[in-house]
Amino acid sequence: MTWRDAARLSDVAFTELSLQAIYAFRQGNVVPPDPAHRLVPRARRRVLESKGIVAFVLGILTFLAAYALRESSLATAVFRVPVPTGVFEAGVLTGLFSLDVAFLWWTGMQVLPTFLASGVMPVLEPLPIDDRTMRRAAALLYLRLFDLPALTVLFATPVLVGFSLGLWAGVAVLPGAAAAVGFALALSLVTGRFFVRRVQGSRGGGGATVVRWTYLVLWLVPAFAMFGLVTAAPDFFAFLGAVSIEGPSPTAHVLLAVFPFTLAVLPALAASGPAGLGLDPAGWLFLGVASAAYCLLAVWAIVWVLASVRQVSMVPPADPRAIPTPRIDVRTQPVLLAVLTKDLRIASRTPGYAFLILLPMLDALAIGLWTFVSAPDSSVAFGLALAAVTTAALLATFFGPAFFAIEVLAFSYGRTLPLSDRSLLAGKVLLVALMYLVASGIVLGITLVRVFDPAIFALFIVAELPAVVAASLLELGILFRRSRARGLPITNLYAGAWYAVLVSIPGVIVAGAPLVAFQAARIDGTPIGVLAMAAVAVAELAFAVPFALGREVS
Amino acid sequence: MDGPPPLRASDLTVRYGERVAVDRLSFTVRPGEIYGLLGSNGAGKTSTIKSVVGLVRPDGGEVLVFGRDVRRDGLLVKSQVGYVPETSLLYDALTPREFLEFVASVRRLDPAAANERTHSYVAAFRLEAEFEEPILTLSNGTRQKVLLIAALLHQPPLLVLDEPLNSLDPRSVRIMKDLLRRYVAAGDRGILFSTHTMEVAERLCHRVGILDHGVLRGEGTLEALRRKVAAGDATLEEVFLRLTEEGEGVRAAVDSLGASG
Repeated sequence: MTWRDAARLSDVAFTELSLQAIYAFRQGNVVPPDPAHRLVPRARRRVLESKGIVAFVLGILTFLAAYALRESSLATAVFRVPVPTGVFEAGVLTGLFSLDVAFLWWTGMQVLPTFLASGVMPVLEPLPIDDRTMRRAAALLYLRLFDLPALTVLFATPVLVGFSLGLWAGVAVLPGAAAAVGFALALSLVTGRFFVRRVQGSRGGGGATVVRWTYLVLWLVPAFAMFGLVTAAPDFFAFLGAVSIEGPSPTAHVLLAVFPFTLAVLPALAASGPAGLGLDPAGWLFLGVASAAYCLLAVWAIVWVLASVRQVSMVPPADPRAIPTPRIDVRTQPVLLAVLTKDLRIASRTPGYAFLILLPMLDALAIGLWTFVSAPDSSVAFGLALAAVTTAALLATFFGPAFFAIEVLAFSYGRTLPLSDRSLLAGKVLLVALMYLVASGIVLGITLVRVFDPAIFALFIVAELPAVVAASLLELGILFRRSRARGLPITNLYAGAWYAVLVSIPGVIVAGAPLVAFQAARIDGTPIGVLAMAAVAVAELAFAVPFALGREVS
Repeated sequence: MDGPPPLRASDLTVRYGERVAVDRLSFTVRPGEIYGLLGSNGAGKTSTIKSVVGLVRPDGGEVLVFGRDVRRDGLLVKSQVGYVPETSLLYDALTPREFLEFVASVRRLDPAAANERTHSYVAAFRLEAEFEEPILTLSNGTRQKVLLIAALLHQPPLLVLDEPLNSLDPRSVRIMKDLLRRYVAAGDRGILFSTHTMEVAERLCHRVGILDHGVLRGEGTLEALRRKVAAGDATLEEVFLRLTEEGEGVRAAVDSLGASG
């Protein structure tokens, strides 16, 4: 069989993969009420849109980097650091390559679990197709997951950099862009395999749980790459400035050997020459050897990826380590805690849900850390800390309805258990409240390291808590009434996502009202502001409890 | 026994749009009885069972479990029923232990009793090696075992089993059959058992009801059904085909296959 046959096979597999990625039928998701013939085109369109969005973001980043390259005085103007032109160009391209790797890897980490769990390749295995064609089909299928974003990096980078720095710089940037793509594809496959075996297929037990949550936190980190880069940029350019002033040195040599700086230097050399790059003979040697090594490594990564996709896609989702003697006992819990524990356990093996749970916490961590950038005990730092708690409350509330989608996983079976709507709803609210408290606790921990008053800050967190609970009760109460009236799963992430988003709006308003009250009343002093906030939050809770947990709810 | 029977369905009707899946079906599962619900694919067995466990809202009639209406007293009925669905769609991201912990907690079981029963069933079904594996990674048969344990964990007075022996290995099938016979031997419990495997129904069920296109074509012991179709020593399969008037259809289908079959 030929490449054309492999392409045809990969197209069939890609259609199935798109369908599973969007509708998750194999995870037990219900079929949406729309006509069946529309599902496949819609799934393919949505996957294309998703790839288009990532490609668009990468294109914008490349454009911004190319624009920055034309304005080398930016380093001095924005970061107040004197950096030679060539070093600045290498620094900007280092940032661009880092973001390329981060975004492509993040894309891979998003889609790989679906790719591996969908079983699209194993379905083809029993067919009378030769090994080479199967390998090619798997490789083509894998490349299609990244096609638009990867092509954007490979084409937009040389074109836009060439436009900014000249033709030869455009050519010289290609190895860096290609290496970024190659490394991201390989990282995606490695982490995808790890995910299937050690996260999705992870056994129970404390140690495995820690591994799972650690992976899931790492899984989210690339999402914060942009934030991290912006935060670290002043220090990075200050470091580059210091190294360039020092001239050739061991530090400069190490820097020249570290990806992506190594390959970012090549277009800078083509455009601005070696000034300030610390290129003594040893430096040239480091640069030459490291550049060749990274190029070879990138080629090897691509070859390895293309040769391994088929094998990896056949990996059974089970942890391959030796099986320890299991503990055959079950621990019962109060119903509320049982619902919470079940949701956390499912989330620990399901990145989509883990994302929703971890996002407010990582967001709080990111904004909380930003307070260190500002001067100690400044009102800016306090404002940032309050903003972190505010976004934690709003994010936790906004995503609350999505946690009902967990119930879709075993919708039929779950409904045959004697679990009252009230208990289920309260369990979900408990999860949202816990997310808010942990996220706020992270900010509180950071503020304790700072000098501003943690007591008033703790009161702020406590005062907002009833509003978070009220908002969740309101949202989930509305969802429950609707779904029970129609006999449908509570939310279906795809078919009914619009409704989940819609009910988030009153929820966010309820969560936000005390914050507005705080802002209005703090003119008379922060304690008054917190009191006003608490009053509004408690009033909202008094309304939400009977609405969501009243007699009409079973 | 004087109390209400484990299960009584009266004039049960289920429609999906224009299609009538169950048409005014009435039957009773008596105390101490395994009642087999037999029928071809699409006969209405699963719709009937889903009505009993509260997954489908009937369009007519009523279902009473120990005298309590499934729709009115849903939670109470659910606490008295152990259910094994036809398809083992579970919380795939949980391990059997985590899943059983959730079920035992929701059913508010005494921890010691839950543990003791878990130990017994896990040992009986040889589930030890898979006890900490995510359900996602388990074979269909192993998932079925997990569902069976979850259904038996609270020792419900009514078991509702939809094709429960599908995918099970021969050893587990044998254990399950013996277990079910003993389960109802105490006299006050009942089992509603759906299958299209006639041999299983013939050996296991005290009485059977034969469903065809949502309608009950016959009901009773094998002897009673034989008398009904005037077939002296016919197997349940033959009785079934006569009652559903599919005997001729089967012969014609086999003939049409000719040598290719």
